[in-house]
Amino acid sequence: MRNTSDRWLGLAFLAFALAVVFVWVPLDVDSGLVESVRRSLVIGDSLGPVCAGFVIGAGGLLAAFRPIPEARSITFTNLAWVAGLVLLFAASLATMRYAGPAAAQAFAENGYRPLRNTIPWKYIGFILGGAILVSGMAGLASRRIGGREAALGVVAALLIALAYDLPFEDLLLPPNGDV
Amino acid sequence: MGVWEHVVLGFQAVFLGSEAFRAFGIPISTTVLMIVSGFLCGIVVGATPGLAGPMAMAISLPILISVFGFSLDSLLPIVGFMIGIMKGATVGGAVPAILFNTPGTPDAYLTTMDGHPMARNGQAAKALRVAHFSSASGDTVSDIVLVLCAPFLALLVERFLDLPEKTALLILSLAFIASVIGNSVGKGLISMGLGLLAAMIATGGDFYPRLTFGLQDLAEGIPVASAVLGVLILGEVFKALEDLRREGGGETGGAASAGTGDRSLSLSEIRALLPHIARSSAIGTAIGALPGVGSTLAATLGYGAGRRRHEKARKPGEPAFGEGVPAGVASTEAANSSVSGANLIPVLSLGIPGNTAAVFLILAMDTITGFNPGPSVFRVPSEGINVELVMAFGIFVSMFVANAANWTIGGVFMRYTGVLARVPKRTLLPVVLLLTLTAIYVQETSLAAVYMTIGFGFLGYFMRRVDMSPLPFVIAFILGGRLEETARQAFAATGADPLFLVTSPIALAFILGAVAVIALNLRRRSE
Repeated sequence: MRNTSDRWLGLAFLAFALAVVFVWVPLDVDSGLVESVRRSLVIGDSLGPVCAGFVIGAGGLLAAFRPIPEARSITFTNLAWVAGLVLLFAASLATMRYAGPAAAQAFAENGYRPLRNTIPWKYIGFILGGAILVSGMAGLASRRIGGREAALGVVAALLIALAYDLPFEDLLLPPNGDV
Repeated sequence: MGVWEHVVLGFQAVFLGSEAFRAFGIPISTTVLMIVSGFLCGIVVGATPGLAGPMAMAISLPILISVFGFSLDSLLPIVGFMIGIMKGATVGGAVPAILFNTPGTPDAYLTTMDGHPMARNGQAAKALRVAHFSSASGDTVSDIVLVLCAPFLALLVERFLDLPEKTALLILSLAFIASVIGNSVGKGLISMGLGLLAAMIATGGDFYPRLTFGLQDLAEGIPVASAVLGVLILGEVFKALEDLRREGGGETGGAASAGTGDRSLSLSEIRALLPHIARSSAIGTAIGALPGVGSTLAATLGYGAGRRRHEKARKPGEPAFGEGVPAGVASTEAANSSVSGANLIPVLSLGIPGNTAAVFLILAMDTITGFNPGPSVFRVPSEGINVELVMAFGIFVSMFVANAANWTIGGVFMRYTGVLARVPKRTLLPVVLLLTLTAIYVQETSLAAVYMTIGFGFLGYFMRRVDMSPLPFVIAFILGGRLEETARQAFAATGADPLFLVTSPIALAFILGAVAVIALNLRRRSE
């Protein structure tokens, strides 16, 4: 039973390697394996990725046909955990990206961009988004989200913001370089 | 300028650089201050279960670059701090292993076997003393071997290896790393292939950035920090938090023992420990010099060799390894600490990182000044100064300064870090995650880099879940660009000879070695 997981993993990477060599590289690389430049042959941009594809394919073959008996596999629980993390990242990074601009739109005249390096605007997105991320992670790990996790998130985000922002004038906290 | 002048300049760069403060009228340079700070920080990190030296190195790098900037003067303070972390974390890992039966770092796992029974028998302070003495001894041996071996290995490489041989050597190193790490050669090769593929995104000689799907965010390539920190740090955080969730959110640990009791180490006790320390130091140094074989294996082999020796000499009634024998602690700690110096041998002489800590050192050197360690570093110019050689000697000196800090203040400081084992991982790891993402953003100033880091974090998580080591990925990602560039130059230099990798005897030997190391490991695993 356990052998099957390595076998499927190996075959999946073999398929990926074939897709790299025969689909991705031909469609997304300009030059071939070897090119003629000024009447001399040089290695083209395709050779490296094709070699990488061969290495992945060889690894896939070995994993499929020489499986490790005690190998572990991805379970439904693992996928559910990843789905939870994806949702948490989406919520926290969306908050981080848009909370500051939304607040500026509501309370300031000229929008967020002129304010992005001023107090308190520059901290709004980072602290809210960071607090959601930290408290959410702690909550997911301990299966409960309460005041303790929320406080941890806010304090951690605030301390990290201050640690980067107070000593270094030229550093921009997320998301202020992107807005 | 000759070698000696470069050595002197290396010393001066460490001790006579910018002055941080004066102690009793003696100027203390910023580099020395940073090495000692890094060492103390490393002990704290090592003593905190869930944190690891590479995590601290990853988080501190962008902060230190912000403080010191991108100049040659900033290289030694930053690299010195990271060397300090690397060494301190190994020493610190023994503290929770002994006091709480919880290894602070993976390679301190075997320290629990005898260290914790000693603590339970009221000998916690003595166990810490043995761990520190052995660790500092192993560290010293390893540093000496580094200084003696790295320059000569580099000179040999530079004298006898041309471009085809250098390409073949890189292939041999990658094959070795992919084969020996983890429990499956196939998965090691997959991990390595993925790293090579990621390194080739948006690089190459054409105007069009290859393999980018036309995405603008990928056109500049994948930031090294995003790939390395994502796979190594975020992947580990995701896995560790899920493990905590599966355990019900609680954290288990052995019964705590106070770090009290007799902490003296008599001359006769030291004499009894020395053979174990010497044997494990030799094992750890040899293991550390091999790319890809880390301190955990060194600790395992050192402990195993110590146990066999102890069993042969054991008298009836004496405790065996695993029952609280100081030699057990010494065998493990000397072995894992002696990896830290030796693992810089392949870094400085060949430019090949041997383990995760070495990856971050190379990353730091490359990011700060574009200093690419490798055989050319040790070239002595007929005129003028080879700045990279001065920096290499500065790094050697930094290793010994960290070693001196280990001997003098390391033992005292580590006794006070036992309390850190109480910090719960479920609190610590989310903070490490936010800190890492912030560090990436501060360095790259782009949310795209953060998204990529998270993506690589999931890759690292899945790799761990299917028992695929992420280290071949990271090392292949670091070396991929150089491998391709060297191969291009070798192909051009040999007049477009398609067999350039097998025409010279040395290159052929390296390629056959690469095939042999894969075949042998396949055979060993199937047995």
